[in-house]
Amino acid sequence: MPFDIPVIETRRLMLRGPEAQDYPDFKATFSSYRSRFMGGPLNTYEAWMLYAAEIGHWQVRGFGMWMIHDKLSGETYGMAGGWQPAGWPEREIAWIIWPGAAGKGYALEAAQAARGHFYSNLGWETAVSYIDPKNLDSIRLAERLGARKDPEAATIDGNDAVYRHPAPDALKDSQIAHGIDMEIAHYADPLFKPEGWALD
Amino acid sequence: MLFDVPVIETERLTLRAARVEDFGAHAEFIASERSRFVGGPQDRQQAWFGFCTSLGHWVARGYGMWTIADKANGTPLGRAGFINHEGWEEPELGWHLYQAAEGKGLAFEAAQAARAYGARHFGLDGVISYIAPANIRSLALAERLGARFEREGELLGKPCQVWRHPVAGEAA
Repeated sequence: MPFDIPVIETRRLMLRGPEAQDYPDFKATFSSYRSRFMGGPLNTYEAWMLYAAEIGHWQVRGFGMWMIHDKLSGETYGMAGGWQPAGWPEREIAWIIWPGAAGKGYALEAAQAARGHFYSNLGWETAVSYIDPKNLDSIRLAERLGARKDPEAATIDGNDAVYRHPAPDALKDSQIAHGIDMEIAHYADPLFKPEGWALD
Repeated sequence: MLFDVPVIETERLTLRAARVEDFGAHAEFIASERSRFVGGPQDRQQAWFGFCTSLGHWVARGYGMWTIADKANGTPLGRAGFINHEGWEEPELGWHLYQAAEGKGLAFEAAQAARAYGARHFGLDGVISYIAPANIRSLALAERLGARFEREGELLGKPCQVWRHPVAGEAA
C-alpha cells in the first residue's frame, strides 16, 4: 500500500516526515537533559533506535510524529504529532521542541495543526496527551490547547498525567480555537492587534 | 509504504517488507530465549519499538531487514537483511529465524539471497556479520555462507566476532 507522510503547512512552519538528514538535531536534544520527560537522556544507540522508530511508527499506525521545520529557512525546531506505541491506552498528541527554539509558540502551532489533521482527515473523535506531572511547560501547553486533566483515563504506567483534548465538535468555532489562533498570530507578529474581541 | 522495499523471491521464500500483521510473530520471538543473541529477550513494548525501528531503518539508510516469508502461504518465518544502527562500524548482514522455521536451511537460503541483492543493488559487497561467540548456529551458518572469521570485536559493549563475507562472484 503506497503511503506518504502528509506535509502540513502552517503560518510559520512546515511539518514533514522525519528524514535522515534531520537526525543530528533529534540526537542532540534526545542526548540532553531536555528529553528527561520523554524517556531521555538517551545514549547514541538508543537515540538512533528511537529516531528510526519514529519513522516506522508512521508505517505501522498510519500516523506519527512530524519534524517541525521553519517554513522559510527549513531549520528544524522539534517534533509534534501522534504517538501510540504498544502499551499506550489511547492515541496521543505529543510534542518536543529543541531547547534553542523554545518560547516562540512553535509547539502550540505544530500541535494545533497536527490535531486538526487527525480530527479532519483521519476522523479521530478524541485524543490525549500523557505528561509527566513535573513537566510544567507541557502541562501549560496542553491547557493552552484546551486539553483538561482527565483523572478517569488510563495512564501509561501510573507516572503520567492524562490530558484530554477537546473533541472536534467542542473545538469547532470555539473561543479556545480562536484563542489559539490569536496566540499564534501574536507569536508570528508581535505587533498583531486582534479585531472584534473585547480585551478589557 | 514509506520506502519501496524490494521483494526477493527464492525457491521456497519471499523476502519482503515487514507488515503490521507480522508483529505477533516478531514479538513472540523477541520475548523468547531464541532472541538472546540479538538483544532479547524483551517485552512486547520493546519489541514494538524494534519493529518500528526496522521499518524506519529502510527510510534512514536505504536498506534494511526483510521479513522472510513462506513463499507458498506468506507466513512470516524470520528476518534477514542489512543492519547499520548507530554504533555499527559498517553495514552488517543479519538473520534470525522463528522457532518453527528452523532446521530446513531457510536462513541460508534467505541470507544468501539478501547478500546477493545487497551486493548488486545497495553497493553492500563483502559485508560483515556480527555474531555472538556463543551463537554456535549462526557461526556455522556464516561459515556455510563462505564468510571468514576476521577478528574479535565488540558491539554495544558486548564481545562479538566479526565475520567477513566474500565479495559477489566469490560467494559459495
